[in-house]
Amino acid sequence: MKKIIILAWRNLWRNKRRTLITAASIFFAIFFAILMRSFQLGTYGYMIEQSIESYTGYLQLQNPDYYDDPSIDNSFGYNQQLIEKIRSHQNVKSIAPRIESFALASNGIQSKGVLVSGIDPDAEKEISNPIHRLIRYQFTEAAIDKMKQNGNLPPDLMAKIESCKNNTYSSEAKIELELELDDESTNKYLPIITHYSHFNSQYLTSSDNGVLVSDRLSRYLKVTIGDTIVLMSQGYHGLSAAGIYPVRGIIKMASPDLDNKLIYMSLPEISEFLGLDQQVTSMVINLNNNDEMMQTQTELQTLISNDHQYAVKNWEELIPTLKQQIEGDSIGGQLFIFILYVIVFFGIFGTVLMMIAERKREFGVMIAIGMKRKKLSQIVSLELIFMGILGIISGMIAIAPILLFGHYYPIRLTGEVAKMYEDMGFDALMPMALFDSYFFSQGVIILIMILIVCIVPLRSIKRLKVIDALHG
Amino acid sequence: MNVIEIKNLEKIYNGTAIQVKAINGVDLNIEEGEFTAIVGPSGSGKTTLLNMVGGLDSPTSGSIVVDKTDLSTLNQKQLVDFRLHNIGFVFQAYNLIPVLTAKENVSFIMEMQGAPKDQIAKRTREILESVGLGNRMNSRPNQLSGGQQQRVAVARALASKPKFIIADEPTANLDSKSTENLLDIMEELNRKENITFIFSTHDQRVVKKARRVIVLEDGKIVKDEKK
Repeated sequence: MKKIIILAWRNLWRNKRRTLITAASIFFAIFFAILMRSFQLGTYGYMIEQSIESYTGYLQLQNPDYYDDPSIDNSFGYNQQLIEKIRSHQNVKSIAPRIESFALASNGIQSKGVLVSGIDPDAEKEISNPIHRLIRYQFTEAAIDKMKQNGNLPPDLMAKIESCKNNTYSSEAKIELELELDDESTNKYLPIITHYSHFNSQYLTSSDNGVLVSDRLSRYLKVTIGDTIVLMSQGYHGLSAAGIYPVRGIIKMASPDLDNKLIYMSLPEISEFLGLDQQVTSMVINLNNNDEMMQTQTELQTLISNDHQYAVKNWEELIPTLKQQIEGDSIGGQLFIFILYVIVFFGIFGTVLMMIAERKREFGVMIAIGMKRKKLSQIVSLELIFMGILGIISGMIAIAPILLFGHYYPIRLTGEVAKMYEDMGFDALMPMALFDSYFFSQGVIILIMILIVCIVPLRSIKRLKVIDALHG
Repeated sequence: MNVIEIKNLEKIYNGTAIQVKAINGVDLNIEEGEFTAIVGPSGSGKTTLLNMVGGLDSPTSGSIVVDKTDLSTLNQKQLVDFRLHNIGFVFQAYNLIPVLTAKENVSFIMEMQGAPKDQIAKRTREILESVGLGNRMNSRPNQLSGGQQQRVAVARALASKPKFIIADEPTANLDSKSTENLLDIMEELNRKENITFIFSTHDQRVVKKARRVIVLEDGKIVKDEKK
């Protein structure tokens, strides 16, 4: 076997140029297929993260009528026993009750229709974790003026800060990233920046009577911490609902759609506002293993159907537009990759045909002197596999750092494309997906293509007439 | 003792319009240790005869028995195996494996036979030294002259310890000096190790060295002379 491997490897380099051209075509196919798929899957993942992991949850428990008529009249009663029952499923990571309703929010002459989400502040930490999204720092005009007066920040950093005027940040790390601070600058300047830009957002307590307002909504309503907003809505069974609520904190939602309309309240406060009694509109469930979502949905449905009439919905049912959008885009991308592979396939095919024509005599001699056709086929197949592996590995090595960079420093889209993304309710970011099955499956596809192409030389060797081959 | 026994051999090629009898009723025995040249004009059937003796082509009728094995009883796979263990080939165009060194070209045959590693190394060195290439064992074919390549081809043919070696126009691509040199080596191997050689050739220098000369014309043996 060793000699066969040596022969195959050396044969590969008999026509260096042809081998390199074919390997290069595989290299570029792998490179671009992974690049494109990574952008696609990264963007889908980010969309899912924005919409599902940060708010909707992978599964929701609802009143069966709520799906068609999402009104608080279709809320359902819950108790700790129900929560524990759901939590007992091994794939359930976290569960949180929610009451969702629409209301008109106003401050002074500004008013807007908003989504009011009543949460259990402690349980919600394990779902959307609003604390993580609270705005802690804001580069207001006053804050920037104070930083200038301080005089310890270098001019280029001040210029960057000024370009980020009115931007808000939920952590020091995000300021570091935005201002591209190195370790030394972070140690030296970040304390000054955070000192002047500090923003005192508070999280809700379990029976808080205040609200958290999403960042863009707060700008629209022109409210900040300590201000109050008025909410008006229709309560349970047509009750009139109205209230005035102090703003405890500003929260930055990843999804621009949610960031434009979300207000968080504590469960007791929203129950009082809407006239509900120990009722919720949904139980949001996140999972340990998202790949088992469908199975978990069925099992949970079975688990709770004995005692109560509940419906367990998955995110694809809750946000069908997102699923369709992802599927539609994914098919387009896969079609492009398919075309790329077809081109490469015929490239490899051409190489193989040339190789067979060139080496027919040699094959004849080898069989004449006693080499079994099977061994000869192994050599030729190995040559093609080596060529494929060469292209695949070099393509993967070349794309890996780009992929890592694109994952940790996603491209921020600008202009019309960004607007289009935001109109669809998504942040205009294009992160790349990290190494996953899609990454390796591109290599597997190329190898399968090579194995298919191998049929040609194998067939040719099997049918080779030694005498004809020797006569050239 | 006969190494090859050929009886009433015929080979007919069916062309589009006519049939061509390339070999027409040949009866021939080759004994162990013979140094035989098959001569004749182009198209006389020399190569066709050798191809059939080597198991590369099958006769239309008649039989070829090599060392008590009737080649017509073997299928393609068995023929490959038979060639590997019983027949050595030397081609006009050398036909060495270009990516292997002289040493590897020779040892490759023994590896295919499944010989033990230490024996392969020893025999490879011995054979290459016997053809005068002990100092070029690590050279690839493109680093060797035509004569040297043909000597490697002879060494390769010897490697499998064959019953006989078929050499189809072995000197056709060589200059006089290389031809003399190659013939001396083959003659010496024949005399010392009793290896049977069968040549097809036009070359008078080969004919002079041969101890038996068979003349073919139109597929028939017209002269069979032992010196």
